Amino acid sequence: MFISRVHLVEVFFTKLVFNLKSEASQTYLAYIWWILEPALMSVVFYVVFDLFLAGRVPNFFIFIICGQIPFLWFSNSVNNASKSIMDAHGLINQAAIPKPFFPMLVVFQDAFKQAIVFTTMIIFFKIYGMEISWVWLSLAVIILTQLLLISAAALLVAAITPFLPDFKYLVSTTTMALMFGSGVFYSYKDVLLPQHQQFFLMNPVANLIKNYRHVLMENTLPDWTALGYICLGSLALIFIMTSYYRRTDTLYARLITQ
Amino acid sequence: MTATTAVMELRDVAVRYKTRKSFFRHDYFTALENISFSIIKGETLGVIGANGCGKSTLLKVLANIYGVDSGEVSWYCQQVSLLSLTLGFDPELSGRDNAIISGMLLGSRRQEVLNKLDEIIEFSELHEFIDNPIKTYSSGMLSRLGFSVALKMESELLLIDEVLAVGDNKFMDSAKDAMADKINSDQTVVLVSHSLSQVKMLCDRTLWLEGGKLQMIGPTDHVLEEYELFLRNDNQSSVSHRLIE
Repeated sequence: MFISRVHLVEVFFTKLVFNLKSEASQTYLAYIWWILEPALMSVVFYVVFDLFLAGRVPNFFIFIICGQIPFLWFSNSVNNASKSIMDAHGLINQAAIPKPFFPMLVVFQDAFKQAIVFTTMIIFFKIYGMEISWVWLSLAVIILTQLLLISAAALLVAAITPFLPDFKYLVSTTTMALMFGSGVFYSYKDVLLPQHQQFFLMNPVANLIKNYRHVLMENTLPDWTALGYICLGSLALIFIMTSYYRRTDTLYARLITQ
Repeated sequence: MTATTAVMELRDVAVRYKTRKSFFRHDYFTALENISFSIIKGETLGVIGANGCGKSTLLKVLANIYGVDSGEVSWYCQQVSLLSLTLGFDPELSGRDNAIISGMLLGSRRQEVLNKLDEIIEFSELHEFIDNPIKTYSSGMLSRLGFSVALKMESELLLIDEVLAVGDNKFMDSAKDAMADKINSDQTVVLVSHSLSQVKMLCDRTLWLEGGKLQMIGPTDHVLEEYELFLRNDNQSSVSHRLIE
């Protein structure tokens, strides 16, 4: 039982730093993998869709990076969060820690790595010869919106998996399906009929990717209304999930042992 | 016993576990039933009983790790720690980092743990190894580190589950003495133990659990006397059963 919320926050950030340190110490290339993974995925997509399948999207490599990097952030965080409470069963059975601690730890760990990935991406774009303008400052709003969306989804999936352990497979299948449904490697304007496009953009991940491309590739400001809706929806889900966790917190320790 | 001196109170507490038999069928196992008692500030309360009688479940209820299926638990203190060796340990991190996070998870603030880090290293005798990853430690070194962290942390109510015997003989002696000193101070402690001599030496009152039910609670000498009598009768009846068979 913690003395105060401040103490809990202190434990959270200490654990966050130690987890990042621990994760990096498990591989030879350590922190470099955080950048290498999205870079390699982008190269694979570029080779397959642009070179082999002769895609028609101009500046396809940049197009792929703008879709792949935000998508991988969402997908990795949600998949990792789905197992977070189950993975922490040892700790949950020894200390009274509020359960949102675990999915949020995953979210912040991945967000930290993502900050490095985004910084590297912008440096790469500069080297690549892209024009960086003040419009790019609006990226901060898109990134924060995505962080809210990831937090809401992480809290939701982490709450369900201890009740239905098979749910984690559904999460990984759904995120895979989401990749195909979010326009990571195609332009929805080229593929979808105009009357279907607004339904496609109701997928928040697809909408965020569209906004990243608006800012980075077209130097235009994002769709503030769409971002506002995603923020509001995410905040509402975060509120619902935190009240749910408050009511069911002591249920989880028994649930994952029985 | 008054509510003003109690640090915790349990009223008619019951805990049931659900076990899955098949896809739709579940069985229930009652781990605790009709448990009511208080813990008085400054006392050491021993908890005894056979394996599977609900001792560890009771400690988890007291630590607010498990919720209860019925009844009520009231805490009149701010901080309760279930003393766990190697709590939150990560094999990839150094002994120093693990000591910090483990101490914080046991209820101390970061600065408090840092202030006690030298004492922890000293007591665990891990001086030259403290900055090595703990995956390189022997099990004895690990338990020495875990015990030293647990020993040095402060908590209003300390819950201890059989952690008094760790490490080699030399370390075990100093560990037992240090823990006995901690328990004998003003600290409020709930101690689960199979060692009746340890309970007799350390506990003011003792609670005896049998099959998830509270069999008896009272002064340690009296409860231990009844418990030993029960064990003798139980043994005799099992011997006579065997003879009949």
